[in-house]
Order: sequence, then C-alpha cells, then structure tokens
Amino acid sequence: MELCVHCDEAAIPPIYQEDDKQMAMPFCCQGCLTVYNVLHEKGLESYYEIKNNSAAFKRRSPVEVKSSQFTFLDDADFTKEFSYLDANGHRTMEFYLEGIHCLACLWLIEKLPEFVPDVIISKLDLERSVATVVITENGKFSQVAKEFNHLGYRPHPLKRNQDVMDLKTKEERMALMRIGVAGAASGNIMIYAVSLYAGATDHFAQIFNSLTVFFAIPVMVFSAYPFYKNAWSAIKNKTLSIDIPISLALITGVAMGLFHLFTGVTENYFDSLTTLVFLLLLSRYFLQKIQEKGLSAQDLHYFYQSESVLRADESAPSEFVEIHSKFIKVGDILKIRAGEFIPADGEIIEGSSNLNNSLLTGESVPVKAKVGQKVFSGTQNIDHDLLIRTEKVQDETRLGRLLKNVENGWAHRSQIVDLTSKVSKYFTLAVFFLAAALFVYIYQKGDTKFALEQAITLLIVTCPCALALATPLTFTRALSKASEQGIIIKSDEVIEKLAKIKNIFIDKTGTITHGKLKIINFKTHKETAIPLEDIIFNLESRSRHPVAVALIDFIKGKTKRTLSTDDFQERLGQGVSGKIENHFYEINKSGIFEDQVLAATYQVEDTVRADSQGALKNILAHNRKVQILSGDKAEVVNKIAGEIHLPTEYALSELSPEEKSEMIKSTPHSMMVGDGANDAIALSHADVGVAVLGAMDISLRAADVYLTTPGLIPVEKLIILSEQTMKVIRRNLVLSLLYNLASVIAAFMGLINPLTAAIIMPLSSLTVLLSTVIGTKELRSLWK
Amino acid sequence: MEIMTILLPLALMLGAFFIFAFIWSTKKGQYDDLETPRFRMLLDDKKIAKPNPNLKKEDK
Repeated sequence: MELCVHCDEAAIPPIYQEDDKQMAMPFCCQGCLTVYNVLHEKGLESYYEIKNNSAAFKRRSPVEVKSSQFTFLDDADFTKEFSYLDANGHRTMEFYLEGIHCLACLWLIEKLPEFVPDVIISKLDLERSVATVVITENGKFSQVAKEFNHLGYRPHPLKRNQDVMDLKTKEERMALMRIGVAGAASGNIMIYAVSLYAGATDHFAQIFNSLTVFFAIPVMVFSAYPFYKNAWSAIKNKTLSIDIPISLALITGVAMGLFHLFTGVTENYFDSLTTLVFLLLLSRYFLQKIQEKGLSAQDLHYFYQSESVLRADESAPSEFVEIHSKFIKVGDILKIRAGEFIPADGEIIEGSSNLNNSLLTGESVPVKAKVGQKVFSGTQNIDHDLLIRTEKVQDETRLGRLLKNVENGWAHRSQIVDLTSKVSKYFTLAVFFLAAALFVYIYQKGDTKFALEQAITLLIVTCPCALALATPLTFTRALSKASEQGIIIKSDEVIEKLAKIKNIFIDKTGTITHGKLKIINFKTHKETAIPLEDIIFNLESRSRHPVAVALIDFIKGKTKRTLSTDDFQERLGQGVSGKIENHFYEINKSGIFEDQVLAATYQVEDTVRADSQGALKNILAHNRKVQILSGDKAEVVNKIAGEIHLPTEYALSELSPEEKSEMIKSTPHSMMVGDGANDAIALSHADVGVAVLGAMDISLRAADVYLTTPGLIPVEKLIILSEQTMKVIRRNLVLSLLYNLASVIAAFMGLINPLTAAIIMPLSSLTVLLSTVIGTKELRSLWK
Repeated sequence: MEIMTILLPLALMLGAFFIFAFIWSTKKGQYDDLETPRFRMLLDDKKIAKPNPNLKKEDK
C-alpha cells in the first residue's frame, strides 16, 4: 500500500503532482498535496527531513485545507476580545491548531516569523497544540491564520482572560518555588542532622541544631503554607482533610524545635518533617500536572465556539463576508457550505441538502432538508450549500440550552468525600486520644515535663505522611498509565467514583458499534460491462453522503482506476448517476443499475464491533449492570442488543436527551458512555460521564473521562483500573497505619526520639511508594 | 576543627545561592513549559532556504 508523502496515511487512491510522471510521490488527498507544494515554495522542505527522523506524538491525519479567509480575525471587536495588546503595540493571540503531531510541526510553526511579515514570535506548546503568536501593529491575524491553514493546521483562536492566565502562571511558579525551597532546605538539614546523630557535642551540637532550625523555618512557613491553608479551610467548612493532621504535626514540630532551641536541648524533628513537606508537595504537583494534561474544560469551551461562518452583507445581500460565529445575530442570512456545521437555529431559505442530526438526536441516518424547514445549531450540512435565516442564536439555540443544562449538571453533581479524608477523621481523633493517654500514663509516673514532651512527640511522629504521600502518587500513576492507553481521566476523584459504579449506561454508537455505516449483503445480480468496483469508485468518490463513504470503503484496495464519467449527477436522497464508457450507471438505495437494469443490491448497517460481546461479558463479570440508552429506533437497538447477547429489556431506544438524563438522575452510582451532543446532559448528570472518540466538544465538556480508542474494551479497562487502583490505595492505607501503630507502641515504651522518627517516617513512605509502584497483578497486566 | 568556621559559612552560602538562583529562574518563567523545550533543542537554528522576499532585511 502506498503511503502519503505528507501525512503517512494510506493513499487510496494515490494522487500525484502533475509533473510527477514516475508516480514517485503519492499523496492521499488534495490537501496534503497542496501543503507539500506550499512548503516547497516557501523553502520549508526540511519539514520532511525532521518529520521522518522523529516519532509522532499524536495520530497523524490527512490535511483538510478549507477555503477560508479568516477576515473575521481582523475585526476590531474580535481582536479586542481575543487578543492581548502589550505596551509596545504588539498583539498576542493564541490559536488551537488541529493536526499538530510531531517535531516537524513544532519546527514549522516556530519558523513562522521567517516567512510571514510582521510576525515577531510564534511559539508552540506541543502538549496542548496551542500556538502563541505575537504580531506588530501592522500585522494581521487573518494573515497568520491563513498561513497556518495553508500549512495544513486549521487554526481556532482561543479566548484568553489575561488576568486568569497570569494568576495561573503565578500559582504554578509559586508551587515550584515551594518545592524547590523545601527540597534544598531538607537536603541541607539532613547534613547537620546526621552530624547530630553521629554524636556532635558541645558548641558544634548547638551550631548544627540552630542551623537546622534556620533552614527549617522557610520550609515550615513558606513551603508548608498550602497545608495550613487547606487545613484551615477544611476546619472552617467543617469538612475532612488529610491536611489537618499534617498541619498539626508540622505546627507541633516547629513549636517543639523552637522550645528546644531556646532551652538548649539539641533535639528536633526537622529532618523528617522538611523531607516530608518536600515529598508531599512533589507528589501533589505531579498529580496536578497529570490532570492538566487531560482535558482543560476552558480550552474546549472556546474551541467549540471558534468557527467562522459566511454571513450575507447587510448592504449588499448577494455578498458574503466571513464572520466569527460569536457575532451572529437573529435575522442574519448565513451561507452554510457542504461539510460545515450549522452555527444557529433557523430556517432554510434557499437550497436543499442532507443533514446529519446525529449530534442532537442520535439518529445515524442523514435526513433530507429543503426550503422552509427548520434547522438546528450543531447539525452538520453534508452535501449541498444552504442559505438559512437565523431565528435563535448563541445560548438561545437548542444546542445552547443543552450546553447550559450540561453546566447545571456539573454544578449539581454529587461531591464525594475521598477515602483518605474519611480515614483522616478517625485518625486525627485516635492520635489526640493516644497522645492524651500517653501524657496521663507518664504523668502518673511523676514527670510532667517528660510527659508533655512525649505526648507532643507522638503528635509529630504519627503524622500520616505515608498515607498523604501514597494517595496522590497512586492516582498519578493510574492517570498517567491510563493516558498511555488512550484513556484520559479528568481528575483523581473520578477513579474513586468509578470504583463505586453499579450501573453502566451505554449509547451504542462508537462503543458497541463502529459508528459509521458499513455495506452488508452485497449481492451481484448481473455481469456489468465494467467491474462493479470501478462503477462505485468513479461515481461515489464524488459524493459525501455516508452511504457513498461506506461504498468507497467497501471497495477499498480493490480499484483506483479513474474512468472518464459524463453527465455525473447527484440528486438529493436519490443517489448518484453518470455515463461511463457508453453505459448509464446509477447507484441509489435500491442498488446499482446498468442502463436501468439491476446489477447489484446492498444494504447498509452500523455494524457491531467484533470485540463488543467479549468486553461486555467481562464488564458484567465485574458485577456491573449494563444498559443501552439510545435515541435510535427500537428495531435497530434491539438487533444490536441481540448481537452482543444483552437481554432486550436492557436495551432502551427512542430516548430524547432529556429522557436519557432523567434515567441517569434516577439511578444512583451510574456511569454513562456516549459521544453526541444528545448524550451531553446525561454525561454531566451521571456520577461518571465517559465520552468516546470522535465525540463532539460539547459532550467532551460534560465528560469525566475521554476514550481515544473506540469500543467497549477501554470501558472494561477503566473499570479494572479503578477497582485495582482503589485496592492499592487501601493497601497503602493499611501499611501506613501499621507504621503509625508501631510508633505509638514505641512512644508508650519511651523509645521514641528524633532518631527513631528519622528512621520510621521515611521507611513508611518508602514502603507505600514501593507498594504503589508494584501495584497489583491485574494492574500490571493492564499496562502490558 | 577550625576549618569548620570557613566550611560552614561556605556551605550555607552555596546553599543560599542555589535556592535564590532557582527562585529567580522560576520567576523568569524558565519552568513554565516543561514539555516543548526538550524537543525544541533538537532543531537547529538554520534559517530557511528561501526566505520570503516580502521580509525586510532587518527582520532576518
């Protein structure tokens, strides 16, 4: 098979440059060919050299260069809202770029200032596919966007709230500084603490002791600040948090260290405590980073709104100007080109076309729409240009209301108290009780000062450090391993919720089925003058109808012979026809005809994935109840349920988005797997919402988990992952509590001192760390 | 053990220096994007072969 020179996808049929007579350089599509030529014109051939020498981070895909002038980017209102003006008069705008996948993309994007006038800086963040572009006062963002488009990256301007962004950067830097200070200080403290343990005496002991205090103060005040803050807000809100016992240990530790410093006792716990602060901050930082890697709801929000649309000019109605969909008003006349999404609710005033409503209704078969019919925002126009008059825009549209509903769902979702917080409540109580008991126990022997000292020591050494460390680490590991497998989980909380799921609701498209039409029962009735494959190839490759796509897919690899076709016609809902080599061919829903005589018949169906049945069986074996929720017709849904051996009473069909979400709301511990906008409300109301590959932005926003590989197997993996991760967390909990028990016993026996603390505290952390890394057998097999 | 009177302040100064160097570089935004730079360094700074004629000389 030939691979496209530009994108490495299979080129079926390959197309070549006009002067490429040897057919040495195949391209998969016109888009890739265009970009290839653009790169050569601009002297950017090195792109291919870099591309071929580096691994792709993301899936490559053929380029789809849409004709767009991006003039809306120069609109004053638009620039004001979407860009940032600095003191030098330079403007900064951020673009989300579709199709960023490798090192060569980075190179290309950052070369922008060299071949586009007035661009000063072009920087790409590979992780997020976001390019930051700075232009001079003479520059135009439309020029930049056009250039991105030419290079094969479709740009979507991102709206940025500069204040929020600045604040976020500041917070992130602050977090890093806290970690850095804690790390450096704890390392230095270790030097002096070891000297003390090794037996430094007299004034050396005094100096070393004061030095540890000197280094510990910034850690305890500056680095550990987030613990105090969290603990305080938890106390104020009367909730639980592991930060309460941690803060307690830190504060008592500082108090005791200072007291000892002034009374001349060369003993303190700062070596253990500062190391603990460093490790805790580090583990939390990692967890936060990995979560940010996943889905950023804010980015998705602006991405969804950032499409341009053609609007009839008010002064010259036959002229269309490109505007941003944000600026559509009621009563505007919009031109919706084939393949575009309709950005507002309205009525068709000119043209007729097939529309894909699947995002709103879940119905997979396209519907015909003609003049006078209502169309809704979020619908895709498949094959012919349409003119519509808008009636409802932005939040007022059906999609807009759906979106609001989704946001409501988010706001009202059940908050869970995580396991560690729950344990920390009993833990804190137990520690206080034990410390009091210890005090009384030693006090009875007659030494008040020693009793108080030992009680405070107990508070310090029973700090639940191992526990507080293990939980974020376990989640970080689970989240990063999951994302390697194409399962992107929004937050650690989701894993805990997942483990409790009892009911799984699945929308069939994209999970149980392939989500696209497939040809079945293809029967040949008669020999044709030219092979059927050639007829299909030459007629249907011009159509964008899903059935045409399915037919082309059906003959994939069998032919790519281009024959001259005359009188080609595509009639709405009637199929295609044309004349090839003196025969008249027609392909419509009843079959393929040669000179009006039936030559072949076929049926189309959204087929069930081969692995669905096995995965379903495994999910059921994990004691989950699985139900299909679909907006599609009963016969279709029941047939699919039958194929995967799911009883038909669990296959619910013809449900509206609202009915789906009611269903979910009334079922506790529910998980919803879906893709379209029609699933979005249900996703947001479920305890865990899972969006699958190809899901629309709106359902992504409503989801907690995003699966980049289709099918039920990722769902099965998700369940195993959550169960096993919680198992590791519980095991870590037990391990760290055992260490705490040991230190309590040591305290009662009067054996506790800074040295034993310096051994027990890191040892317990190390144990849970190992336990986390080893995981469980099931987890390890999941990662293979 | 008189050497300690030199070594101790020296060690402290070194430690303090690196802490402040770290804080300074963090504030300068050195660690804002930890992902892209490790790839960016693999690309050479060679100017593109055929620069855009529209570009002014001083921009190059």
